[in-house]
Amino acid sequence: MITFDRVSFSYGSRPVLNGMSFSIEETERVAILGGSGEGKTTILKLILGLLKPDSGRIWIDGIDITEKKEEELREIRTKFSIVFQEGALFDSLTVKENVAFPLREYTQMSEEEIDQKVRELLRRVGLEEAIDLMPEELSGGMHRRVAIMRSLAAFEPRMFLYDEPTSGLDPVNANIICELILNLSSKGTGFIVVTHKVFDAFKLADRFMFLKSGTILLDGDRERILQSDLSEIKIFLKELHFPQFQGGTRNV
Amino acid sequence: MDYAGSGSLLIILLISLFIGMALSLQLSAELSRVGLKMYTGKVVGISIIREIGPVLTAVVFAGRVGSGMASELGSMVLGHQVDTLRVFGVDPIKKLIVPRVLSAIVMLPALTIIGDAASLMGAYYIAVFVSHQSGAFYWSSIREVLVYENVLAGSIKPFIFGYLIACISCHMGLSTKGGAIGLRRTTTKAVVISFIIIIIADFLLTRILLYLLGFTV
Ligand SMILES: Nc1ncnc2c1ncn2[C@@H]1O[C@H](COP(=O)(O)OP(=O)(O)OP(=O)(O)O)[C@@H](O)[C@H]1O
Ligand SMILES: [Mg+2]
Repeated sequence: MITFDRVSFSYGSRPVLNGMSFSIEETERVAILGGSGEGKTTILKLILGLLKPDSGRIWIDGIDITEKKEEELREIRTKFSIVFQEGALFDSLTVKENVAFPLREYTQMSEEEIDQKVRELLRRVGLEEAIDLMPEELSGGMHRRVAIMRSLAAFEPRMFLYDEPTSGLDPVNANIICELILNLSSKGTGFIVVTHKVFDAFKLADRFMFLKSGTILLDGDRERILQSDLSEIKIFLKELHFPQFQGGTRNV
Repeated sequence: MDYAGSGSLLIILLISLFIGMALSLQLSAELSRVGLKMYTGKVVGISIIREIGPVLTAVVFAGRVGSGMASELGSMVLGHQVDTLRVFGVDPIKKLIVPRVLSAIVMLPALTIIGDAASLMGAYYIAVFVSHQSGAFYWSSIREVLVYENVLAGSIKPFIFGYLIACISCHMGLSTKGGAIGLRRTTTKAVVISFIIIIIADFLLTRILLYLLGFTV
């Protein structure tokens, strides 16, 4: 569904992606891993056409979106549901208005239908009580849950994109978000989750892409990652070796 | 709209009042040396309505409202809220900039009128109670100043300043990058550039308006 063909991208004089190529199918569960500033968010923005590559081509569903104008991208964007880093709720709107936002933009629902739909979506993540709160009154985990429900409020996405869905959350809340992500994909909808938490990535995905210096250092399944000899990847994998996963024996 | 006006009102009242008093003091002192004290009202009136009022109010507005717009939009950019708007098919220019520009071109003229009035009151106080001029004469010279040319010259400026401040601040806000430091830089830049543009635009507008209204310099 998504194909990057030798895509390069830089912010001004700062190169971020360097001739990157990969293909992702609609039903895949992919984790994009990499350190801070390696261009993980940039990849998601390129997929949605929010940024244009300096060179190379990006194909979505067989359509080359590289040269598409903003209006033409609208349709492409409805294929995805994206949850940005931190959730990105509109901080001047209540939870209800946030979730209602895409409904107002994309559907002709009446005020009553919108209210019902918003309540239903919030109920699914146990947040119906929070409907009248402002985003600043929500905890990090609640914020993410609302953002996830907002991202899929107006249409059935063909693929989910999550940018660091669990960063900054305690393990309990991180787990709730992971469960939610898996739940939403239980019917086979694929997702791309960007993260630097290997532990969460292993819980969610079955394909892993490691970014380093604007290229893909390694792309493969769990086994390939675990058996890799690359020092950059080994540093990441240390997270998996904490006592909690080793039955108490310290092995860091 | 609300945040644009009410917060600035008190500051503008206070500053305008004191500028009016200072101006009146300076002019009374200088004009009485050459025996032209009775012109105080007229000169004060013209300076405030055509020049000082609009510029002063615009500067306060840029410092308070413009900087607010820049940092608000800047944090929306950094928090990916602007990207989210685009994903939902909403044009951020229409959604975020147009209402701010409209509110600025309504609020700034209104605030300017209030500021002008405060300045004229301050100037009146000095002229009458410190410089011992006739109050009735002061107000009649102000009324003479409030002719169509001066009012027009004074009221076109705030519309244009409001437009410029909002455009500059929103543009700066939307081009924010680089985290908290970037946000601070955005806010500072929005205010500084607005100040410079206001002062330059003021000169150009004065030149154009005087020409159009048939004044000879
Ligand atoms: N608008 C921008 N202008 C200039 N540079 C930018 C901009 N956005 C991001 N960058 C820089 O580009 C690089 C890649 O950014 P990106 O947001 O894709 O990284 P990331 O992998 O998502 O990192 P993080 O884990 O911090 O979210 C970073 O070094 C960042 O500082
Ligand atoms: Mg990122």
